[in-house]
Formats: sequence, structure tokens, C-alpha cells
Amino acid sequence: MQQREEKQLESALDSIIQRVNDLKQSIASMIFKIENEYESITWPTFLDNYALISGQLTSLSKVLSHDKCPVLRNLTVLPLMLSPERDEQLAQMTEHRVTTFAHDLCPDYLRTKLEPMAESKMMQLETKALGLQYDNAQKQIATYQKVISHVWDIVSKAREEWETESSSRGNTQQNSSVADTHLLVAAVGMGKGLKMGPNPNGQSNPTSGGMMVTPQGRPGGPPGQGQMPPTTQAMTMNKAPSAIKTNIKSAAQMHPYGR
Amino acid sequence: MSTPGNAMDSLSAALKCNIIPNQEYLLQGSVLDQYVEVLLHRLRGLCDNVDSGPETFHDHEICFSLRIPNSGATTSMPMSVFSLRVRRAIDVTDTPFQLRYIGQQELGDKNRPTVVRSSIDMACSSSIIEFLNELGCRIDFEYIARGYMFRKGRMKITVSKIFKMGSNKQESVEPISQSYIVELSVLAPSGQDSIGEDMRIFAEQLRPLVQLEKIDYKRLSNMM
Repeated sequence: MQQREEKQLESALDSIIQRVNDLKQSIASMIFKIENEYESITWPTFLDNYALISGQLTSLSKVLSHDKCPVLRNLTVLPLMLSPERDEQLAQMTEHRVTTFAHDLCPDYLRTKLEPMAESKMMQLETKALGLQYDNAQKQIATYQKVISHVWDIVSKAREEWETESSSRGNTQQNSSVADTHLLVAAVGMGKGLKMGPNPNGQSNPTSGGMMVTPQGRPGGPPGQGQMPPTTQAMTMNKAPSAIKTNIKSAAQMHPYGR
Repeated sequence: MSTPGNAMDSLSAALKCNIIPNQEYLLQGSVLDQYVEVLLHRLRGLCDNVDSGPETFHDHEICFSLRIPNSGATTSMPMSVFSLRVRRAIDVTDTPFQLRYIGQQELGDKNRPTVVRSSIDMACSSSIIEFLNELGCRIDFEYIARGYMFRKGRMKITVSKIFKMGSNKQESVEPISQSYIVELSVLAPSGQDSIGEDMRIFAEQLRPLVQLEKIDYKRLSNMM
């Protein structure tokens, strides 16, 4: 029974020491960063370091409150020998922070109670808390809760807005339509849907792949526009160029024979 | 004074040195009317001319075509069609007309990020329409484009609404779709393919609002 408890204590101490060491290392690296890279350090890296430390603190407190961990409070550390001489082993263990295990240092290092100053301050606060009227306390809690809930509302509202925005942004098909792209590009590039009237020579137009022989309606366009009157008017307007066209065409055809 | 012969010489010399920006690198897409404001906002943030705000334009474009009978007797293509585009500003009266030749588009393989087509632009006077008519060109189609123009380095981005010409030329125009056409283009001398990569990166920044893509006209005419 005794042995088992000892074993448990040992393993608990091991894991505590390991976690404390981790914590110490990351605090040291953070201090190093602040001292040496204060010009180039970015806010995110600083926060990353901070998050690491707080994570390690959490895991340390988890270890301490674990079921398997013996109640450390019930254990005592008893200094058996004090000496003003320099102790090399101690210095090595503590990375040269503590060189002697003497009377002046021992109470500080083996302290289990708070420092006297901190202790008196705690006492003050506790008496103040005890002396507080119940109604007053209730009132303060209520105001505090009101402020918190207000902030909570603001944050959740902002989050809601942000989420709807990002979800609407995620929907790609909303912003543009492939059919419209094709319609517009075909119109601008090949005149699809923009040509007026049939070709004067009754030929299909090679550029448009012979699609635009009928005057009304554009393929792909919204139907039922009732644009017959414009088309007929446009046809009369196109009369003059078409006449020129046929003239020129016959002239052009004459050329090869002339040569 | 330079004689025409000299002008031809210097033109061919310029062509040889490859300094004429006659290749257009192009990506196209569209955005629905209700999201155009969002797109303009984003473009304002991405492009160079931020202080002055977007440049607006309101143009009338006419595409003329000239049919030339092929002398070589290929039965499948009895005529070769040659088209020229004339563009004039409606909102500004003192600007010259623009005459533009656009060549066949080359899609290239998948590694090529944009469509490439030869393109030659020149300014001309208003008598160009008469001149083209005299040459035997015929109006193939025409439209009104109204929208916004942005610049980003060498890149030009236009967001335009395309209107079909109504019966009464000036007044009744109707939009042909519920979207704005978005074009990203660069005019550069041939061989400068690196610009395509810049354009691809820029187009990536406009996703998913607009999908700027290489669009194959041939496939389009088969599809629709």
C-alpha cells in the first residue's frame, strides 16, 4: 500500500516537473523574443507564444487536479540541513540560480503560504467581500451581467452578419451566369443577336455560322419582345448600304474576268 | 516630308523590330447587373486610376464586313470575310473615330492563360464610315457599349453593358442581357507571352465575382 502511493507520487512529480520545465522554456523564449526581437516581432507571433504558455498552464493545472495525483497539500518538505557553503550540485540543478541552501534563502524557496504582503492584501479583500451588503452585491452582479450580455449581443450579431456574408460569397454561381457570358461574347465578337434584317443576298453569314437568317428574335435572348416594327424600319434603313453592297459585289466579280 | 514609299519602309522596319503592339491578349467574362457595383468597388481597389474614379464610356460600335471571293476554288469557303470595326464615342463629340481590325483568335493549349488575337487600332475621322461604304463594306452589326474602364499597369479592364440598336437609332436601345460583359485585355507586341501570366493572376483576384476565361468563338457559335 505504502509502496503504491510512493510510486504514484513519483510519477505525478515527474509529470509535474516535466510540465513546469516546458512552461519555463516557453516563458524564457518569450522573454528572449521580447528583449531581442522587439523591433521585428509581429503581433500574431507574440500571440502564438502567449497561447502556447497559457496552454501549458492549463495542462499543468489539469495534471495537478487529476485523480491519480496525490494531494500534495498533505505532504511536507522538511529541510534537514542548512549550510552557508556553496553547493555545486544544487547550483547545477537550478542552472546557477541558487548556489547555497542557506537560512536566508530557504524560507523563500520552501514557502507554502503566500508572501506576507500578498497575504495581507488577500485578507483585506476577503473582509471587504464579507462586509458587502447582499443587495449591493446582487445589484452589482446584475449590472455586470447586463454589460456582458450587451457585449455578447454585439459579438453574436457581428458573427451572424459575417457568416451570412461569407456564405453568400461562397455561392459562386450567384454573381455571374455562364449563359450571359456566352450571349454577350457572341454578340460583341460575332454580332450574334445584333444583326438586323436578313442578308441582302440571301446568303448565310459565315462569321455567325449561318444562324441569323431570321430577322426577329435572338437566339438565347428573352422571348416575346415584340420587335417587329423596329425590324421592318431597320430593314428600310439598311436598304441603301445593301444596294451599294450588291453594286460593289458585281464589280468585284467582274475583276477576274477583266484580267 | 516622307513619301508613301518611305512610310511603308519605316512601317515594315517597325514590324521587323517588333515594336508595334499588334497582339491583343484577352480574357472575357460577365457579371450580373445586381453585382456590378460590387465588382466596380473591387476594381477600384485593385486598379491604378483610383483617385479619379472609374473612367466611363458610352460608345457606338459598328462592325463592317467585306466579302472577297476566293480565287482558289475551295468549295467549303467560297467567300473570305474581312471585318473592320468602327467605334465612336457618344458622350464626347470631339474625339476621333476608332478603326479597328481584329484577327482570328488563337486559343493555344491549356498552358496559355489567355486568348491571343492580332489587333490593329487607329484613329480616324468621321468620314471613315463613308469611306468603308465606298470600299464595299457593309454594316454587319452594330451595338452600343456603355460602362467603365480601369487600368492596371498595361492591363485594361472594361465593364460594359451592351445595348442592341433600336429602331430609332439614338433613342430606343435595349440591353441584350441582364449582365455586364467584363473584358481584360492588353495590347502588346507579339512574343510577349509573359503578360498572359499577369493577366491570369489578376483574373484570379476577381473570382468568384467574375470568371474571366478564354472563350472559344468557334465553339460558341456551335453551341448557341
